[in-house]
Amino acid sequence: MVANIYHPHPASIQEIKEETPDIKTFTLGFKDQEVQNRFTFRPGQFVLVSIFNCGEAPISICSFPTFSEDLQLSIKKVGLLTGEIHRYTEGDEVGLRGPYGNGFPLEELCGHNLLFVGGGIGLAPLRSLIKYILFKRSEFGRVTILYGARTPRDLVFRDDLAAWVREENVKVMITVDRGDSEWKGDIGPVTHLWKKATILNPSDTKAIICGPPVMISCVVFDLLKMGFAEDDIMSTLERNMKCGVGKCGHCSIGSKFTCLHGPVFTYRQIKEFPSVL
Amino acid sequence: MSDQLILDKEHLTGFLRKISKERELVAPVKNHHGDTLFEVISSVDNISLDLESRPVMPPKNFFLPRTETLFHYQRKGKQYLFKEVLPEVPSVFFGLRSCDLWAILFLDVVFQENFKDRYYLNRRSDTVLINIGCREPMRNCFCKSAKSGPFLTQGYDLQLTDLGDRFFVEIGRPRGRELVEKWDYFFRPATNRDKDEQYEIVLEAESKFERIVDFDTAISRFINNEVDDALWEELGNRCQSCGGCAYVCPTCYCFNIVDRPVSETEGQRVRMHDACTLAGFTRLAGGHNPRHERSRRIRRRFYHKLYYDREKYHRPSCVGCGRCVEICFGRIDMVHFIRMVCERPEKSKEASLRLGEILLQAGLISSQELRIALERQASTGKPLGAQLVEDGLVTKEGIARALGYQLGIPETVGTGGMIGR
Repeated sequence: MVANIYHPHPASIQEIKEETPDIKTFTLGFKDQEVQNRFTFRPGQFVLVSIFNCGEAPISICSFPTFSEDLQLSIKKVGLLTGEIHRYTEGDEVGLRGPYGNGFPLEELCGHNLLFVGGGIGLAPLRSLIKYILFKRSEFGRVTILYGARTPRDLVFRDDLAAWVREENVKVMITVDRGDSEWKGDIGPVTHLWKKATILNPSDTKAIICGPPVMISCVVFDLLKMGFAEDDIMSTLERNMKCGVGKCGHCSIGSKFTCLHGPVFTYRQIKEFPSVL
Repeated sequence: MSDQLILDKEHLTGFLRKISKERELVAPVKNHHGDTLFEVISSVDNISLDLESRPVMPPKNFFLPRTETLFHYQRKGKQYLFKEVLPEVPSVFFGLRSCDLWAILFLDVVFQENFKDRYYLNRRSDTVLINIGCREPMRNCFCKSAKSGPFLTQGYDLQLTDLGDRFFVEIGRPRGRELVEKWDYFFRPATNRDKDEQYEIVLEAESKFERIVDFDTAISRFINNEVDDALWEELGNRCQSCGGCAYVCPTCYCFNIVDRPVSETEGQRVRMHDACTLAGFTRLAGGHNPRHERSRRIRRRFYHKLYYDREKYHRPSCVGCGRCVEICFGRIDMVHFIRMVCERPEKSKEASLRLGEILLQAGLISSQELRIALERQASTGKPLGAQLVEDGLVTKEGIARALGYQLGIPETVGTGGMIGR
């Protein structure tokens, strides 16, 4: 008999970290040790998270893809389900199934300089990839990370950002839409950081973008102008998903399913879709 | 046992009774409202079996129910537990129409490819599919255009043809043979005369289809990107987002999964039919909706069924049952849609010029008449064909003939839009 693809595996919350007023990072462990041992993923993949009496939602995995580190999900409070998990405490259980989706094309990124552009919670899937790249540092070129949030209070993964700054050959630039009395950094959209990111060379750099649709469009527009090839720009797309396995139809874009063929698409693919961004 | 048999009509009830004693039997039954629906038959003696009409709802509801429970879930302290609810209903479907049987085969592919769907496959694994070929196309049917009827050449377990006082029975897949061999005393071998008679009926049935739905032309317009935004806008204005087209469609499989709380400690995870034309179908938490406009949802529906599925499965996922024609009060069903796409002037100016040239070549109008008509058309905004007809310079039939000759298409197809509706 075939396995039940819709069956969630219970997992308990081991740790909760409050990143911002509306974003928390949950560290999770499967209850079933066998499931825990079997669970592997690629950066850019996602899981469907079940919350009691609330249903399921697709959430990107933001942790380092190895057995040694626990599964982490950063979740922003936007609706019913995410609002509920924000009320959860350590020891509470959620359901997980997956991982689903294609993830980032690691083989294609290998040997290249990388530009990451993240907006808000969009840094979550990028974090998984950045951690992977820093672990396998010698296989990749220069890394440039541009990150934007609404206000200084909305910056996620502060510890990671601080650690990445200290890494060799990694440049991290952060900007906020609105500063506060203590903020001494940049103010404005991430695209204002281009002038500082002088090390960018479009011919040998791959750009990986994740954030709100408006940000993605603006960044892609600028990158194309700079001379980035359409195949060298990729983004992870967010869609309503119900099944995660290419059947329910909700995440369809053109002839593709975001859950099956995505969520990572190159700009060449995205531009063929009927007005995605 | 031969592959072609005769089941005398007086034996039908007996045969069905035997089946229903051992397995769950589903057949089309006319209810007291006068509607024919597929129903589980508990006793074959008290039903009015209806093999003459197409059931209102497609048989997909038996494999992908309108609502089904996938799991019972529970919370015990901090624990969160799921218990799957698995259906197992070995059924025999009797009296399917060819289009509906073809649709089931399509769903089989969808639910088996990539990740296998256990719920669907469990329901489907032991089913026997028996269809009855249609001698007369019903109102709104266009299975011949969709290449899924009125008779099938493959895919069925048993296929019946009504020969008046008896059924001609063709054995398809092994499960059909098993059924017939088990109760072989109801059947007798078909004679050559029976075979000839059945063959004639098939040919006659095919010739009775007056409604031609030109899938190929519509699809080629999709491929060449010739369907303009104005058409989607118009369709979007006519669509009421009721979802009816998807609910009655035998191949539409989109579904939703939601939790239904039962109490503070337990609930059910249910799956239900969904429709891509509904406003919330693509809405994300937080409110962003990639297909917010109705026109884009309609576009999605037709692109999916006619273009993407054809790319993927080498044929569009419409079987021509005509149910959407009956349910859609905005007239955005498959038949009207394809007609609109086919009749659409490609790009009004180019099309007008081309039509003008064709009429000139055919000697139906002079170049001066064409010039006047083009000028008048610029102020009235009418299609050139309509303008020429209105000005009495040419008849509709004249245009149709000239176009048909020029483009090598039958006169009934593809000219209406240029003449004006």
